[in-house]
Amino acid sequence: MIPVWVLTGFLGSGKTTLLGRLLKSPDFSRTAVIINEFGEIGLDHDLIETSEESFVALQTGCLCCAVRDDLVLTLEDLLRRRAAGTAPPFERIVIETSGLADPAPILHALMLGPTLAGQLVVAGVVTTVDAVNGWRTLDRHREALKQVAVADRLLLTKTDLLDAPATRLTARLAALNPPARLLTATFGEVEAAGLFDLVCGSRAPAELARWLALSAPGERRGTQHGHDTEIVSVAIVWDRPMRAVGLTLLLEVLADHCGGDLLRLKGLVNIVECPERPAVIHGMQHVFHPPAWLARWPSQDRRSRLVLIGRNLRQAWIEALLTALEMEVAEVHGVAAKLPATGEQ
Amino acid sequence: MSGAIPDYLAALLQESLAAWGVAGVVSRSADGGLELRAASVHLQIARAPPGLPFRWLVGDGDRNRAVSGVPGLLRTVRAGIDPSYRPIAARIAALPLAP
Repeated sequence: MIPVWVLTGFLGSGKTTLLGRLLKSPDFSRTAVIINEFGEIGLDHDLIETSEESFVALQTGCLCCAVRDDLVLTLEDLLRRRAAGTAPPFERIVIETSGLADPAPILHALMLGPTLAGQLVVAGVVTTVDAVNGWRTLDRHREALKQVAVADRLLLTKTDLLDAPATRLTARLAALNPPARLLTATFGEVEAAGLFDLVCGSRAPAELARWLALSAPGERRGTQHGHDTEIVSVAIVWDRPMRAVGLTLLLEVLADHCGGDLLRLKGLVNIVECPERPAVIHGMQHVFHPPAWLARWPSQDRRSRLVLIGRNLRQAWIEALLTALEMEVAEVHGVAAKLPATGEQ
Repeated sequence: MSGAIPDYLAALLQESLAAWGVAGVVSRSADGGLELRAASVHLQIARAPPGLPFRWLVGDGDRNRAVSGVPGLLRTVRAGIDPSYRPIAARIAALPLAP
């Protein structure tokens, strides 16, 4: 399975510079890069030199609006060429979005492309943030807020242009997306290993631990300064193991009522039917990955934990929903347990 | 309509109004059901009678809608309050997480 990364970040935040440097690094060889440029004449791909084992494909037009199907076709084509030996044997794919892109539809295209299943895995989202202009960009552009909120890695760029550390901006980023790891590029240099190692899956205990460390129950507003208050991170913890159907219903209601406002959801859930193996759940807006099952609990703590990031989420509502679903499922299950088994007289 | 509604459902509906940004009140009716008032909307929520393959009934004065569980109840109530509401179906990704 080939990991796919999405590299996003607002216009001028240093995505192409970052890619250009990474692609020269031996740590980043065997990478296929898909660059999405907004406009009919692309320039960014001309600015990137690659090693012999890496290469760049180009898409013009906005990936998040018009060319989602094209993205799937491009990925299918890359995989075909790799299998036929007409493309280098790349080991990862990076999709660089245009600076104005909403990354969510791009991720949906990836997650829902049935022909890609079995060949690709979604590895995560890296978002670049310009340390000089980032604050103002977040104030003015909703796309930039969303790019930050969905990230697994936040990379602060252009810090060498600052006279003092970007303390206020890093605090704002941490408030917008508490679980994301914040890294800093110094003179455009950053270690590929820290940036593009796997983050989402069941074999990423460090990443999971980062999410779970944030799961002290509570609701956190975007910042304390009156900005971004519509983006909230909510952590829910509960003791009782949950029936699998209850989890399904929970995700169904979250999709129904939060939809596009649910920017990210991650969690570790104790499922009644499989108590020794916690389920890792992961979703974005109304699209959820199938649960990944850990081999065992990472610690003695077997409580279920969910972290949600989104707009206008209310912890009290999610807790009330969870309670209602659990009660209803228990009630139905209790009734079902009293029914005679099929064929029983 | 009749039938006692559990407290957890009353709490959920009250929290749902807040989550949807709707000013409204959920109260208990004399028969143990719930009444939800928000702007000009008045809904009655009751348990479905035994023998029906539904759990709850949502009435708006003119007619009753039967729903099979909490997800359907929330969908129906929200649609009753906000005619522009369109639920978004959850989808399961074809691609797994990174292993």
